[in-house]
Amino acid sequence: MRIGDALPEWHVEATPTFVISTALATRDFQDVHHDRDRAVQRGSKDIFINILTTTGLVQRYVTDWAGPEVLVRQVDIRLGAPCFAYDTLKFFGQVIGREERDLTVEVVGRTAHGDHVTGTVRIEVPA
Amino acid sequence: MNAAIVGIGATDFSKDSGRSELRLAAEAVRAALEDAGLAPSDVDGLVSFTMDTNAEIAVARELGIPGLTFFSRVHYGGGAACATVQQAAMAVETGMAEVVVCYRAFNERSGHRFGQVQAAAAANIDNSWSYPVGLGTPAAMVAMFARRYMHEYGATSEDFGRVAVVDRKHAATNPRAWFHDRPITLADHQASRWIAEPLRLLDCCQESDGGVALVVTSAGRARDLPNEPALVEAAAQGSAADQFTMTSYYRDDLTGLPEMGVVARGLWRRSGIGPSDVDVAVLYDHFTPFVLVQLEELGFCGRGEAKDFVASGALELTGSLPLNPHGGQLGEAYLHGMNGIAEAVRQVRGTAVNQVADVEHVLVTAGTGVPTSGLVLGRG
Amino acid sequence: MIDIEEEAARIAGQGGSAPRLARDPVNLPMINNWLEAIGDEHPGYTEVAPPAMVQVWTMAGLRGQRSADDPLGQMMAILDEAGYTSVVATNSDQTYHRYLKVGEHLSVTTSLEDVTGPKRTGLGEGWFVTTRSTWYVGDEPVAEMRFRVLKYTPASKPEPQPGPRQAQAIRPAVNRDTEYFWEGCRQGELRIQRCGGCGLLRHPPGPMCPECGATKPKYLVSAGCGVVYSYVVHHHPQVPGRRTPFVVALVELDEGVRVLGELAGEPAIGLPVEVVFTEVDDELTMPSWRPRADR
Repeated sequence: MRIGDALPEWHVEATPTFVISTALATRDFQDVHHDRDRAVQRGSKDIFINILTTTGLVQRYVTDWAGPEVLVRQVDIRLGAPCFAYDTLKFFGQVIGREERDLTVEVVGRTAHGDHVTGTVRIEVPA
Repeated sequence: MNAAIVGIGATDFSKDSGRSELRLAAEAVRAALEDAGLAPSDVDGLVSFTMDTNAEIAVARELGIPGLTFFSRVHYGGGAACATVQQAAMAVETGMAEVVVCYRAFNERSGHRFGQVQAAAAANIDNSWSYPVGLGTPAAMVAMFARRYMHEYGATSEDFGRVAVVDRKHAATNPRAWFHDRPITLADHQASRWIAEPLRLLDCCQESDGGVALVVTSAGRARDLPNEPALVEAAAQGSAADQFTMTSYYRDDLTGLPEMGVVARGLWRRSGIGPSDVDVAVLYDHFTPFVLVQLEELGFCGRGEAKDFVASGALELTGSLPLNPHGGQLGEAYLHGMNGIAEAVRQVRGTAVNQVADVEHVLVTAGTGVPTSGLVLGRG
Repeated sequence: MIDIEEEAARIAGQGGSAPRLARDPVNLPMINNWLEAIGDEHPGYTEVAPPAMVQVWTMAGLRGQRSADDPLGQMMAILDEAGYTSVVATNSDQTYHRYLKVGEHLSVTTSLEDVTGPKRTGLGEGWFVTTRSTWYVGDEPVAEMRFRVLKYTPASKPEPQPGPRQAQAIRPAVNRDTEYFWEGCRQGELRIQRCGGCGLLRHPPGPMCPECGATKPKYLVSAGCGVVYSYVVHHHPQVPGRRTPFVVALVELDEGVRVLGELAGEPAIGLPVEVVFTEVDDELTMPSWRPRADR
């Protein structure tokens, strides 16, 4: 794991089932994450993924790549375009920093509408 | 005919290519030439779709093709697919060109999506009877035919769904397919949301980014090239009486695709084979109902019998008429039918991932609901 | 006039909200639900929780309400009052001091860190509100989050107009061959092209009769009655000027030609219908269908 290493591209199909089941599993009951009619009334084109899920996906993207032995120390994310039901969320990543056992990975999650999430994940690799 | 497809090339198929349509076209053409064992300097003809945004001269510039003696476009959206090869073959046979590349490249998912309502299309006088009344997407236009077909023949949504299940089953074992490793069940199909009743989401093909190119030359020259040539045993175009683009709703009967009947008769007559001689069928599958109608128009079964033909398992890889072994446009990618021609070539060569045994003749069709085209490719 | 910065300083000065206890201790069933939904097959979460779940434990729940001393809630109310009524989250920065063990019971406190604005953004003018939350097990801080939202006034957009037909509805192209039809709609007549040579009825129309070759198109006025020959219930995508779902019917008129139009009511093949005319604006009137009352 060296600076410049790219993570393999990863695609998440944000089906309605995915949007809703993750919202509920993160105990987020806001209607825009499970009720399409209400989401549309509020000006969205469909239900969309909640922030806690985005955080979870970013963590998963990095640990899927780095392996289960690493420890996740920090997840900093900036949110952009919503990820709506039926969107494909594509993740890209790259190692941008390393200090001894501390690794910083830059992550971008993108849909056809633009960047849904950009951020960094700091992990600690085993000695 | 005395022409053959000697090279196939494609970009990755994605939902967001991240590059220009011209770059996709250039990449696909270069890949096809490499596959053919030819250089850009060998090319003297280019053919594409009227809808393609990449001018022949722009593609030629990117590839460094020194000159073109033949360039041509075919109308009517996906109906153009097989006709590009027909144009190329005619150019080769008449001596207008020696090596012709057919190409189609677009950012059809990340850019201009055909599945959305194309308000600008209403500027066409023919479309003024459909778009302004709210009939503005290909899915809705096909749904009007599908509803009548169900009414006349007792077909059901499940009968349409079986086509999607077969395509997705084949895509599941094709690593290039968008839906690789993601088969669906009939229950998944039935649970998918309505797009335009009676069409569900899983009756509709994908929207895709990508490019495909095919290299056509004479059968004689093909013998000196590295790949087993896929000979153009027959090519045909077809339109029929009272033809519209997607909305031929004013004919006496709405349960057929008579333009595909014109293509079928041309293909059988010119190739000298018939439906029972076809080893693999690559049928245009932007929407499942028209796969059933095509089976009837092409003579694989009688009128109204396609639902039973499909339910019999005939379309499986081991069935009597293996359908879309690459997964079709429902499973692999929507490249306006051109990826299906590439699959037909692989089936003839014997190099497909889901290879059917002992392939002699492959039938390919182009877009349905529009004036269309077809090919029979084979080992000659 | 509300002084937003003054109010922000006041709320920030209150310090952290009272610790709020999670509903449940860290537990495997909720961890497994989370892993299943996210699709995470990480094998290590059998005794500790995924770090990214930290916020999940203290979510307010289905009927949860903000406590009165919650600084984010207070600040939102003030900005609402000042006219910044919309909200969007922009940043979530989480730091995990250690992994949380099954059985540990978290509490959380939140303080207001910063309020800056007004700023012009792509969404409209607004204020960035930053809070800091700290999660504790007992007295030990175990994780922290800086959370930022933009509270803004939406840039003015034209409100979608009610009613099935809006200004942006798709309009037909009209030319010399078809203008009689649209003129008829404006006058409340459903006109069908009738050949001046052989009398052939034809829709859609054209300049030359395919039967006799005459270029003398005339028209008759249809009685406007027919039956549904086929139909579509359109759900997706959205169509300009219409609310989904809606029905488009292909109607076979008693005179023998077919005409497309929107159908109000429950569709069925064979349903007797009659034409109605809907004025979109001064220049355009659309024909559509409704079930016939006298059937």
